Amino acid sequence: MKLEMATLPQLLRKHAQTTPNRLSQRHKQRGIWREYSFADVQRNVRELALGLHLAGVKSGETIAIIGENEPQHYWAEFAAHALGCKVVSMYPDLTAGEVAYLMDDSEAVVLFAQDQEQVDKGIDVRAKLPTLRHIVYWDTTGMWSYNDPILHTFDALQQQGRTVHQRNTKAYDALVDAGSADDIAVLSYTSGTTGQPKGVILTHRFLIDNAQRLINSMDVRPDMEYLSYIAPSWATEQIYGITLGLGLPMVVNFPEGPEQVLANIRELAVEGMTFAPRQWESMASSVQAHMLDAGPIRRGVYEWGMKVGHTVNVGRLDGKPIGLWDRILFPVANALVLRPLRDQLGLTRLRCASCGGATMAPDIFRMFHAMGIPLRNIYGSTEVGLLTCHQGDRFDLETVGNWMKSHPEAGPPLEWRVSADGELQIRGGSPFLGYYRRENSVESKVKDGWFYTGDAVTKTERGELVFLERLSDLKRLRGGETFPPQFVETRLRFSPFIKDIMTVGDETREFVAALINIDMSVLSRWAEEKRIGFSTFTDLSQRPEIAALLGQEIARVNLFLPKHARVKRFANFPKELDPDEGELTRSRKLRREFLEGRYSMLINGLYDGSREVRIDIPVTYQDGRRGNFEALVSIHDTDSAGSYHLGAA
Amino acid sequence: MSVIENLMVGRHMHMKTNLVQSFFHFGPSQREEVLHREAVEEIIEFLEIESIRHVPVGSLGYGLRKRVDLGRALAQDPKILLMDEPMAGMNTEEKEDLARFILDVREAKRIPIVLVEHDMGVVMDLADRIAVLDFGRKIADGTPKEIQANPAVLKAYLGEDSQ
Repeated sequence: MKLEMATLPQLLRKHAQTTPNRLSQRHKQRGIWREYSFADVQRNVRELALGLHLAGVKSGETIAIIGENEPQHYWAEFAAHALGCKVVSMYPDLTAGEVAYLMDDSEAVVLFAQDQEQVDKGIDVRAKLPTLRHIVYWDTTGMWSYNDPILHTFDALQQQGRTVHQRNTKAYDALVDAGSADDIAVLSYTSGTTGQPKGVILTHRFLIDNAQRLINSMDVRPDMEYLSYIAPSWATEQIYGITLGLGLPMVVNFPEGPEQVLANIRELAVEGMTFAPRQWESMASSVQAHMLDAGPIRRGVYEWGMKVGHTVNVGRLDGKPIGLWDRILFPVANALVLRPLRDQLGLTRLRCASCGGATMAPDIFRMFHAMGIPLRNIYGSTEVGLLTCHQGDRFDLETVGNWMKSHPEAGPPLEWRVSADGELQIRGGSPFLGYYRRENSVESKVKDGWFYTGDAVTKTERGELVFLERLSDLKRLRGGETFPPQFVETRLRFSPFIKDIMTVGDETREFVAALINIDMSVLSRWAEEKRIGFSTFTDLSQRPEIAALLGQEIARVNLFLPKHARVKRFANFPKELDPDEGELTRSRKLRREFLEGRYSMLINGLYDGSREVRIDIPVTYQDGRRGNFEALVSIHDTDSAGSYHLGAA
Repeated sequence: MSVIENLMVGRHMHMKTNLVQSFFHFGPSQREEVLHREAVEEIIEFLEIESIRHVPVGSLGYGLRKRVDLGRALAQDPKILLMDEPMAGMNTEEKEDLARFILDVREAKRIPIVLVEHDMGVVMDLADRIAVLDFGRKIADGTPKEIQANPAVLKAYLGEDSQ
């Protein structure tokens, strides 16, 4: 299927004319799912657009929208597009200061605000925004005492638009006809690596191109039920819920509110949804937390079922042969555990599940795959759109998948290459048009037709792309090679045995080494099961069996790294890292410089080839007494982690 | 009973269908239920308890239970809202929540609210006018400011010497 290259309001009008009663949006409001057909959406958008037109909004101006995902948010965007305006969508939890910056930078003339909370932000910052002419809100709760002339209700604006339409039924069509696919549709603000957010210019052509890339690479089907949850200020939702929602089209479902999302998913049993890693992780951990509360029998059945699911589903994904016994057990596990679990989560019909925006631990992916949910990674950048995703039935969960195909009318086909220092460079598809009101922004990113993504990547043997790190976050070793510290740390931190991990290695060091803070609660249970005796944290952390286990975990991640970037040696911290000691921040992030100083003896030991190091560090006890902590720490080589060396501790 | 059932009970005095009609859940009685359910959902939205709509009230925390109580009172579309020590036994956070909803009720429903309360902080912050009782006899009334400066009140509540 190929999408028509047109503006979004043109697509909407076409659906409203050919299939007016087809369902377009669904919103749970006051306990009931309210449905909007294409004719309803078209009418709402038309009245809004004409109302804005009457209020003096002109083609090429900017309209800002702030609020949760609700139909009105999307109607406002379509109405802005119908007038030839560009849209800045803002996260509802932005502060007034951030709202002021985005609206000023984008020269917004109208602010659509969901409710009192958002209107207050607009009123707060209007003095700083000479271009702002109107604030329009759709939720009237709490608004009874406001009578500022800058404020309008959504309904009043639509009422005015309705009058215009009654007088001239051609007025709206004329506006929509004037639009072209190369009009700027959206300014999507990215934080960038340094400085203030910059608005990436996205045209209708870009949006249609990217929606087409999804159609080409995922099992999306017309009329599928999609959950709109990620914010439209993120370009991903502009492509999914907005463009694909209109183009394919899909039924776009809006949850009742952020807290009701999980319950709403169950009511809907959606077929497509995209979450950021955080949301998938919280869904996975809610399952795990419930199972921890369950009785031993139920937990046993759950664990058995998940194990069978893992063997079969994840095995198939890896292309491993599945044993006959597991194939016999699988339908039983599916009936007893996996299907009820999917049903509880409301994921029984989920076909297009994707995860984007940041790296998520492969173990979370494996858990969903074990349940029978084909969760896929999706990778791209706001500037050049979606680039890769997991496609087909076999893919590697450590990668971000295979290349997508762009829309034939968007530009030449997508091409990519990896530069000598590992940077991904892109050509083709709808081009990068620069950051709004930033001079030379195209020239700074695009050289000889290639867009420099700034992402360090590698490729697996099967041709799948592995995202490592932002190029600017890479660290360099003495030999000049670079390595991605976050990539290593993120993946290893999701090992249940590892609480924190710090990679060391810089211009003065030959190779990469790691210091690990073990997860005492998990490892002590593991040790009990394996009948390994231990006394304290220090003792457990230095047990050779633990070192061997962690060595295997590191070796697994090492496989995805070029040779020079592999973790060669590691040691376990002999005491638990503690924010009270200043070793971690209160939000449990590593304080690297402090740790490097405090454990310098240990780090030197990692590099001078020692087998063990005696460390002696000052500590403060809970009651304020000071003392010294002494321990003998063993150091391990990952290559020989199988045949570890016994420390004297 | 779940939260929503509790609120529907609050609507009971507005229901017109009789017992016999209610035995047959169609026609007028069904239409009427839809109408009242609509009103109840408005209250649920107002009190921000969407997430506990179908949760039995008995399993809720104390603060939420009180919020449901307030919802049931509001479901009756009162012309005046009487509250007898709604904050008793609450922690600070629960008090702050309920105080905000009481203010919202006044704003949104535009009805007078009579609040009997011992918590001086709550009384002084919420009330427009205060009447002070001492062993059943009214000893003062006025705005919070006047009450704070009233010698009879200070004497009754803080003791003779504190002046």
